[in-house]
Amino acid sequence: MARAFKRKGARFVARLDDVERQVVVGLLEQTHELLVPVLREQTGDLFEDLVSRLGLPRLKDLGDDSSPAPRDPALDRLLPSAHREDPALAAEFRRLTEYGLRERKAANLAKAISALQDSDGDNVRLDREQAQAMVVALTDVRLLLGERLGLRTDEDADALQERLEAVSPEDPQLYLAGCYDFLTWLQESLIQALMGM
Amino acid sequence: MSIAPAELAHADIEQDMSVDRPWITLVWNDPVNLMSYVTYVFQTYFGYSLEKAEMLMLDVHQKGKAVVSTGPRETMERDTEAMQGYGLWATLQKDD
Repeated sequence: MARAFKRKGARFVARLDDVERQVVVGLLEQTHELLVPVLREQTGDLFEDLVSRLGLPRLKDLGDDSSPAPRDPALDRLLPSAHREDPALAAEFRRLTEYGLRERKAANLAKAISALQDSDGDNVRLDREQAQAMVVALTDVRLLLGERLGLRTDEDADALQERLEAVSPEDPQLYLAGCYDFLTWLQESLIQALMGM
Repeated sequence: MSIAPAELAHADIEQDMSVDRPWITLVWNDPVNLMSYVTYVFQTYFGYSLEKAEMLMLDVHQKGKAVVSTGPRETMERDTEAMQGYGLWATLQKDD
């Protein structure tokens, strides 16, 4: 049975059993997989390869129109458009920031994953830096799950419970919603502990 | 880093001073982010007091959005990127 995060001295301590830790790690890993920048193979073009090694997007990868695979809608929530009324400015902002944001989010998720994997049995003990990484990582997972559950507005969130009561017991939405609620509870406790409340 | 000729540096400053409409960073309401988390982010990143952070969070929640910072475009770009890093729905625009 899980126990929420509490501050104990300099540590942030929770209790999660094997299954609970596996579920949370699995969700963190899926979010990591979605966000981690794709490693690009060498093109043979000296300039393109240099740009690639510097971590900048290659010119031919830029712009949503040119990318061959359709963009996962969850990415639009995790990396939203930064200008609502100016698509050109939004594209420019995305070009300059998306790679770095993806890298930082992926690194943060990796930190949260190893913090859970290094737990002492069921006792999860985080230092402040790990706790700060975890609270942001849990946000990214919840944003992904929220998108999969169709939560776009407060009204969607309010109607979720009612909607789930109508679906069949095997519907995967029920499992996702269970995970979402569990992570909400876990994250709320960690925020309270971090804010010293 | 380079040393700009004196006239050029002066011209840059004058141009900066002439910008009377600053840019703003907005954070928009979303159904996923917790009220406590939004407050935590405003306190952690901007160093706002709990009162100010909570006031801005309530604006986001109740009015749908809040201006969380104001200033030159470059600074607003940095703030927007940081807010998105925290998972908040942030945009920037020229103040109007």
